[in-house]
Amino acid sequence: MDFSAVGAAASEALTLASFIGIGGGVLLGYIVGVIPGLSRSVAISIAIPMTFYMSPFIAISFLIGLSKGTAAGSAVSAILLNAPGEASSAATALDGYPLAKQGKPKTALQIGLIASVMGDILATIILIFVAIPFARVALMFGPYEMAAILAFALVFIAGLSGGNIFKGLAAGGLGIFLGTIGLDNQTGLPRLTFGYTELMDGMPLIAVAIGTLALSEMFVQSEKLRYDRENMSVALKKDADDRITMPIFKRILPTILRGTGVGTFVGALPGLGPSVGSFMSYGMAQKAAKEPEKFGKGEPKGIAASESADNAVIPAALIPLFGLGIPGNVSAALLIGAFAIHGITVGPLLLRDNPELLYSIFAGMILASLIMLVLGWYGLMFFAQITRVPPHVVIPIVIFFCLAGMMLQGYGTFGLIILMAFALLGYLMKKYDYSFVTFLVAFIITPMLELNLRQSIILSRGNWEILLNRPIAMFFIACTVIALVALIIRTFKKEQAVANAPAD
Amino acid sequence: MPRSDFWSGLAVAAFGLLALFWMIPNYAGSNPFAQMPPGLVPSIGAWAMVICGVIIAAKGLIQMLREGAMPLSADLHWDAVGWAAWPFAYVAVAIWFMSFIKLTWFGAFLIGGMLFLLGERRWWMILGCSVVPVVLLYILSVYLMRVGVV
Repeated sequence: MDFSAVGAAASEALTLASFIGIGGGVLLGYIVGVIPGLSRSVAISIAIPMTFYMSPFIAISFLIGLSKGTAAGSAVSAILLNAPGEASSAATALDGYPLAKQGKPKTALQIGLIASVMGDILATIILIFVAIPFARVALMFGPYEMAAILAFALVFIAGLSGGNIFKGLAAGGLGIFLGTIGLDNQTGLPRLTFGYTELMDGMPLIAVAIGTLALSEMFVQSEKLRYDRENMSVALKKDADDRITMPIFKRILPTILRGTGVGTFVGALPGLGPSVGSFMSYGMAQKAAKEPEKFGKGEPKGIAASESADNAVIPAALIPLFGLGIPGNVSAALLIGAFAIHGITVGPLLLRDNPELLYSIFAGMILASLIMLVLGWYGLMFFAQITRVPPHVVIPIVIFFCLAGMMLQGYGTFGLIILMAFALLGYLMKKYDYSFVTFLVAFIITPMLELNLRQSIILSRGNWEILLNRPIAMFFIACTVIALVALIIRTFKKEQAVANAPAD
Repeated sequence: MPRSDFWSGLAVAAFGLLALFWMIPNYAGSNPFAQMPPGLVPSIGAWAMVICGVIIAAKGLIQMLREGAMPLSADLHWDAVGWAAWPFAYVAVAIWFMSFIKLTWFGAFLIGGMLFLLGERRWWMILGCSVVPVVLLYILSVYLMRVGVV
């Protein structure tokens, strides 16, 4: 490890500008996380245009801080409102809300916060120690290996992020198709641009991301408003007995460590995401407990298990991103876009070409975790008030910022039309249960996949036997086929079980 | 669910076929000297859509036949459709407006109008929620990003 680069990174992370940027990201993330219906990916997609004027380090740290803040903030609404800000905090609500109803809302929030911060810091440390050796190994991979790994990641995400592999693959196919729009790198000729010069650079990522994630989500939320306008917030009062104590902390510590392990493992695998991590951790904590019947009735270990895993997933999802350049989830995919906007190629090349930036981001991530602890600890009352913001107030403001994000990037009316088209597409995908995660990941990694595929074909001169000399590529091709078959069987079995289930 | 699977599967497959037989041959370009034709990767995506769309539609159809359901239903709630559709129309009109007026100048009306339509009636809430984001956008675009009023 280059210690001078590490020292420079630490000093860059400790400047006032970094504090403001990263702290602003965490604060914004916390606020977004607290508001039910606003997800992490919505926040990141809207925030990307706001980072144009920042330096690459502050921009990326701001977005990672935002991501971390949403994970911690979503626990607040899960505990006080029984309405998780993120799906991944649904497991937190199982015990957090009952504990809050028992007159211990502050204790529940503090347990959630400490579990979040510990899970986050430990997973960040694991990321630092794993991503760099991982990237060093990945630097030795050629186009054959990278193409095979990307294909495997895509199939894996298609199968696991939606549930139905066919819908996932169909969404992935659409993402691949739309990802090829623009000038062809080899021929320099326009491809699938239909004569529109605006599409020469490809479909604008910001329009695709904001449309599919944020704007469509607001349309979904406004539709839900017709049926659900209830708000059952638990008020946070000043009570000396309502706080986390050392015995409680000692009791939940092993659960936090286990949750961090589960979250890190799940986060490092593409496609699984924080919801799987938090529920898996919750289930394991319940199985390991001496009194499992207490779970679901306000058990502190339930909150700790869910929150530690939820927050550990975020840094862990960056392991395949920094190591291989593969986004494991939507937030990581959006970070690729943010890196690209700042002219940086994320992946193993980042370690070779820009190690200072990578170390600075790691330092910024640790700083974000600490800021999260301070903000969460002293801002509980403030964040508790935000849970009372009704969703009908949030929707028009977010729609306004979606449109503003497009205008800030200078796309004009054409960009807005593309945005609207993708909002409609995202709405339909959510409505008919097609994986928009797979769509977006496929859209973002297609240029990389095509480049590696093209290089492989040119190097091998079309002779597929050359793959026999590339064991890693062969391994991932075999994994892709096995994963595809296993996921198809899983989808059929699941649907068979649903069809055979007795009707109520 | 089977009905929506059937129709959505058909739509996906139809788009895939449109891509394979019209868009890619006519607009993907060609290069006889390239070892990898420019249409290869989009074709892979289109084939994935066709194959998966057909499977989804077929599964939906089989399920409908089992349940004795019809592919079309007359049980449509037009008020629910209208409620789902109006935000799209509202934003589409706003986008049309944005080709004449800058977003900053009419952003407050955009937010305020939608707040009103969503049921908010407190004037101070409408005023605050519609003015503050516009001021933030102004500061961001004019002073921080220095791109001028957007």
